[in-house]
Amino acid sequence: MKTRTWILLFTALAAVCLLCSYFIFFGGTSGTTATVASDGVTVMTLDLSADGEYRIVSDYGVNTIRVADGRVSVVYADCPTQDCVRHAPSNSGAPIVCLPNRLVITFSSSEEFDAIIG
Amino acid sequence: MKKLCAISLLLVCLLCGCTESVPAEREIFAMDTLMTLRVWGDDTLVSDAVSEINRLDALLSVTNENSEIFALNRDGEAELSADTYDLLVKAIAVSRRTDGAFDPTVYPLVVAWGFTKDEQHVPTQEALDAARSLVGYERLLNRLDVTCVSFDGRIDLGGIAKGYTAQRIVDFLRSKGVETAFLSLGGNVQTLGSKPDGEAWVVGIADPDRPSQAIGCLRFSGSLALVTSGGYQRYFDENGVRYHHILDPKTGYPADSGLASVTVLAHDGALADGLSTALFVMGMEKATALWRESDDFEAVFLTEDGGIFVTEGAASLLRDCEFTVIER
Repeated sequence: MKTRTWILLFTALAAVCLLCSYFIFFGGTSGTTATVASDGVTVMTLDLSADGEYRIVSDYGVNTIRVADGRVSVVYADCPTQDCVRHAPSNSGAPIVCLPNRLVITFSSSEEFDAIIG
Repeated sequence: MKKLCAISLLLVCLLCGCTESVPAEREIFAMDTLMTLRVWGDDTLVSDAVSEINRLDALLSVTNENSEIFALNRDGEAELSADTYDLLVKAIAVSRRTDGAFDPTVYPLVVAWGFTKDEQHVPTQEALDAARSLVGYERLLNRLDVTCVSFDGRIDLGGIAKGYTAQRIVDFLRSKGVETAFLSLGGNVQTLGSKPDGEAWVVGIADPDRPSQAIGCLRFSGSLALVTSGGYQRYFDENGVRYHHILDPKTGYPADSGLASVTVLAHDGALADGLSTALFVMGMEKATALWRESDDFEAVFLTEDGGIFVTEGAASLLRDCEFTVIER
């Protein structure tokens, strides 16, 4: 009985280990996605194969994000600079950033780079 | 039974090994930019690093009414902390070395062009002359005192503060035993050590025509600071002419050096930051001359006509693009 308990315990542990390893190694390699973070907190993961429009409201302001034809763009921002709105629709490379509203959109396909500077 | 125990322990060890290769990561907004910190170590160290960034930001900001720089600009004199003074001295050292192409006293010109408040416009000649009369790091040389600095111009350390901060954070993390970290503070990247999996760091250089995409990438291992300055980063159009934000302190106008961007690689973050602006202002000929008489930086020049020129020390790191090597 005692031996069986130990076997069950270690088998369960091994299963957890393998499951965790699977997610660590293969967790992020599915289709192209974009992660939306507001003030450093992830609020949404966008599947770029599904068109849609999303309104992000935070303490810093409002942005509307559009997914169309596999690319993400910011179509509205109530910020003064409008840099994010001028950013061309994108699905890779450097993140789209709205500094005043602390909104950052990063792309899973950009993982080949640790960063793009400029 | 013993075999099962051994296998389980092995799996646990493997899993632990995996988690150690995943960095603690934080994304923050400070110094008017987005910063990303990845530290292969204790998460509390990332929190300490963020606190240090915010502390330095509060000291060095030119717009924060509680900062030492704001007080100096407002009152004409201020007692500076050791950190602010240290950076001011470093900034002046870069100015001297680049014959004023980088100048921490350029702020009146930045204000005249409206780059501080997103109200960009071409200033009148009168406004430009008035601003230029206040610019010149030489005017600061005899006014530096360790406890108190007095100056009738206005100082902005924004052109070097991010690089200095990145260096300070890397030094802090190293002192705490961290072997690997990756910092991206706006356009500044600084690495500490090499990736635990032995892979190279890969840092893309933005394409000036499509800044969200990389025109090529630098692959390297170990500790390094990389900073890019480019006219495409901030600009406005007026009467059909494009004006960018990197001002030549000598002319008062946006630098017209034929360069689209300069990326500097150095072991010191503040040096890389200050030099990237300076080399952009100087243009490739003068910048290359400075590089030939130096041994503490390398550079990648992107010209406005699409050329890529790389100093020979950086050439072996650059990938995925065609370029011309600048030889010593």
